Amino acid sequence: MYPNPSTVEALEDAALLAEVQGRSLWADARTRFFRNKAAVVSLVVLALIALFALFGQFLTQYERDTVDFALMGANAHKGAPSFETGHYFGTDNSGRDLFARVVQGTGISLMVGIVGAMVAVIVGTLYGAVAGYFGGRIDNIMMRIVDVLMSIPFMFVLILMLVIFGRSIFMLFLGIGLISWLDMARIARGQTLTIKNKEFVEVAHATGVHPMKIILRHIVPNLLGIVIVYATLLVPSMIIFESFISFLGLGVQEPNTSLGALISEGAGSMQYGTLWQLIFPLIFFVLTIFSFFFVGDGLRDALDPKDR
Amino acid sequence: MSLLNIEDLRVSFTTADGDVNAVNGVSFAIDAKETLAIVGESGSGKSQTAFAAMGLLAKNGRATGKVMFDGTDLLTLSERQLNKVRSKQVSMIFQDPMTSLNPYIRISEQMAEVLMLHKGMSKSDAIADSARMLDAVRIPDARNRVRSFPHEFSGGMRQRIMIAMALLCQPKLLIADEPTTALDVTVQAQIMQLLGEIRDEFGTAIVLITHDLGVVAGFCDRTLVLYGGQIMEDGPTDTLFADPSHPYTHGLLRAVPRLDRADSELATIAGEPPDMSRLPKGCPFTPRCAMRRDNCAADRPPLVDFAGDRRRSCHIPIKEVV
Amino acid sequence: MLSFIARRLSVAIPTLLILVVLSFVLMYSAPGGPFNSERPLPPQVLANIEAKYGLDQPFWKQIVNYVWSVTTQFDFGPSFQYKDRTVNDVIAQGFPVTLTYGFWSFVVAVVVGVSLGIAAAIKQNSWLDYLAVGISVGAQVLPNFVMAPLLTLGLTLGWFWMTGAALLPGGGWEGGVIVAACAEKDNFCFGLPWGGAWRFDYLIMPVIALSTSYMASIARITRSSMLEVLNTNFIRTAKAKGLPMGRVIRKHALKPTMLPVLSYLGPAFVGMITGSVIIDVFFSTGGIGQFFVNSAFNRDYSVIMGITILVGALTMFFNLVVDILYAWIDPKIRY
Repeated sequence: MYPNPSTVEALEDAALLAEVQGRSLWADARTRFFRNKAAVVSLVVLALIALFALFGQFLTQYERDTVDFALMGANAHKGAPSFETGHYFGTDNSGRDLFARVVQGTGISLMVGIVGAMVAVIVGTLYGAVAGYFGGRIDNIMMRIVDVLMSIPFMFVLILMLVIFGRSIFMLFLGIGLISWLDMARIARGQTLTIKNKEFVEVAHATGVHPMKIILRHIVPNLLGIVIVYATLLVPSMIIFESFISFLGLGVQEPNTSLGALISEGAGSMQYGTLWQLIFPLIFFVLTIFSFFFVGDGLRDALDPKDR
Repeated sequence: MSLLNIEDLRVSFTTADGDVNAVNGVSFAIDAKETLAIVGESGSGKSQTAFAAMGLLAKNGRATGKVMFDGTDLLTLSERQLNKVRSKQVSMIFQDPMTSLNPYIRISEQMAEVLMLHKGMSKSDAIADSARMLDAVRIPDARNRVRSFPHEFSGGMRQRIMIAMALLCQPKLLIADEPTTALDVTVQAQIMQLLGEIRDEFGTAIVLITHDLGVVAGFCDRTLVLYGGQIMEDGPTDTLFADPSHPYTHGLLRAVPRLDRADSELATIAGEPPDMSRLPKGCPFTPRCAMRRDNCAADRPPLVDFAGDRRRSCHIPIKEVV
Repeated sequence: MLSFIARRLSVAIPTLLILVVLSFVLMYSAPGGPFNSERPLPPQVLANIEAKYGLDQPFWKQIVNYVWSVTTQFDFGPSFQYKDRTVNDVIAQGFPVTLTYGFWSFVVAVVVGVSLGIAAAIKQNSWLDYLAVGISVGAQVLPNFVMAPLLTLGLTLGWFWMTGAALLPGGGWEGGVIVAACAEKDNFCFGLPWGGAWRFDYLIMPVIALSTSYMASIARITRSSMLEVLNTNFIRTAKAKGLPMGRVIRKHALKPTMLPVLSYLGPAFVGMITGSVIIDVFFSTGGIGQFFVNSAFNRDYSVIMGITILVGALTMFFNLVVDILYAWIDPKIRY
């Protein structure tokens, strides 16, 4: 591990000035990241989960929406996980193969998280960079809009939208996209405020480079570190967000499914003793969220070891 | 008997990259009413010496040796016993007045709590006393402003408040850790003047920790030069300045800008301050020393007395250090 | 101070209006009205119903009417689903329930979270610290919709399988939290000195499920904030003054430690209100969340809008309180 901030400060006087020169920031960060065991393990777990979501379907003989009529209604007795039947994770209430459904659920949850994070990265970063770079009245108005949007209870508005325009994955993505960029905009703006006073930006400005070009060429690349960290931490909250809505039955609709919807189903039927319906989606949910958090934490510590 | 007697003080910090030895066997004494300067570059261990004496080291720091104050070894005291010494017997003021006062609490509270704790005063008496002390350090309109928050004062004013707070219990010793470093030059002079007046008025012994030799001259009776957590040279300020006996002191003095010597080019000491986790076995200054000899890196030169009231730690004969 | 509050309100009130208008516009633009069910109503009946709810009037008149009655009379109009009830009736029925366990969840999250965080920071790198960090890391993956089934599994089903008796009542807040007397079967019920009894068995699972993840976040924030504060120069000054550690923490470290925690309380509040929907649905507590989801499935727009606006108003009020607290703690903030 690295010295914590207290150590760092205490040692300012003790002169740890023998800085190792000549390594770039990113190379340095990579070394630090790979020294963090939890983050590395999580990265491996994430890769495995992604592989599972992409290719897991090939491991089972069942399609996710094929109803096994022999098991329908007799799930509690015959639907338990077993290698003999080929239902590795058992079956659900309708006799569908849970393994195939978990594969799809994991995939959709990952997709939701990544789409949310991407919207945040693109919209939030640009919005924040523009507000921070231009400053003054533009900044004031733009950030006031963010403030207003942030104080709206979005989950309720999103549910209202899902009800009005119909429940679909598209609406879900739209809703998640609508909120995910707000925090990122704030963070990007704060960073931009410090970057825009650096010499290279002032030089670009003085030589008459177009403001949008300055933002794209000089500011955004320098925001990259914090944007990556925040995006990694945003993915799990987006997954939680989607799972929440799907848990209520308002998100992803049958025959498609997500981890939230599967957990909801499992929770609804656990009094019948079919615990596997809850446990397997839950394991994947917990592993995914944990891994993203640890990777995000690792990235943050690697890119900015002093700031915790 | 001297007021404070530090013997073979060593301070080290445990870090992930190994132990860092900030102070390596420092011994010195200060008498009552004396003024001692501890001079060195940042990282020479001068502040950590003071922090160790006050029990203020960071959590990963350890101090060994002896810090005898009035007959008791401060290093052996429990936190509770040490609290009876802090501020009451030994006070400390810090480098950065902007962050050393609690920004969330009124000055009156911060000062009064010292008197209430150490002297058992009532709150109103304590605040009245605090206002008087603020007046003594020339805070204008002290009676009304004592109830202000720190952010309502300028940096120089805040350092005055810190000094006033440190003097509330009239301690025998005041440790001033770079009290003027963070301040403007004109304010620096005012603060040094104030410290001088306090010494004369209250008879407080002062340990002045600084890297600024200009501050030391004319203020301190004695000067201690620290490098790599070790004493390089120690002696009366006047003789030490006029006739440095150590190559490091020599270099330090040459690096001070002088207005009275038009010819002199401002010299710097080549190289960088030492890595405290990998100090050479011998003299820590060896890699940067222009006069180094073959045995300097391997043998640590002992600290020897000479000329009656001076000490130095160097293999090179005095005559050769010009 | 008053002008500070006024300035905050000058932002909050337009925001609320935007929310009201936005939700109305959303509803108005819905493809198909609330009465387009699978079995189409005769045109005449539909027209009558629409006239009753004012849906036949032009858009601007509808929106002005709605905004006017919401803002001046706090009247959210009739429910589209329950023919004889207004939205206000629905809220009056569900809101007290939500408020009860919401309040306790908030208290538990803040009190436990802050204490845990402070204890961990003071005893940094002790077993207590590792425990607190472990809990707060672990609880990140336990949002309310995961906690709810797990709790039921452990406390209800697990207990039932072991003892054959119910530890906690399932479903519905029959009788409420304050009751006349404790029944035989109640496990967590205490008589109150002034008569009646307080049975919090209904509260236990909702409160744990709702507060866990926020408690963990608060503990995490408190811990790192306290660690940072303990490293500041002014804490070193306080120690140099000879103050005992307890006093240093109480008097000097606590206020600045609480500032980041306070900023988190706003989002935590929103999160808990949102989470109450899950609680209501999963534990059938009968709070507004249950009505909200019911209405969502039944296209009862007026109830959804009413609850959304109510929650929005609550959120803004809460944020205002947090802002005032913040300004009160931090003297550098000018009103």
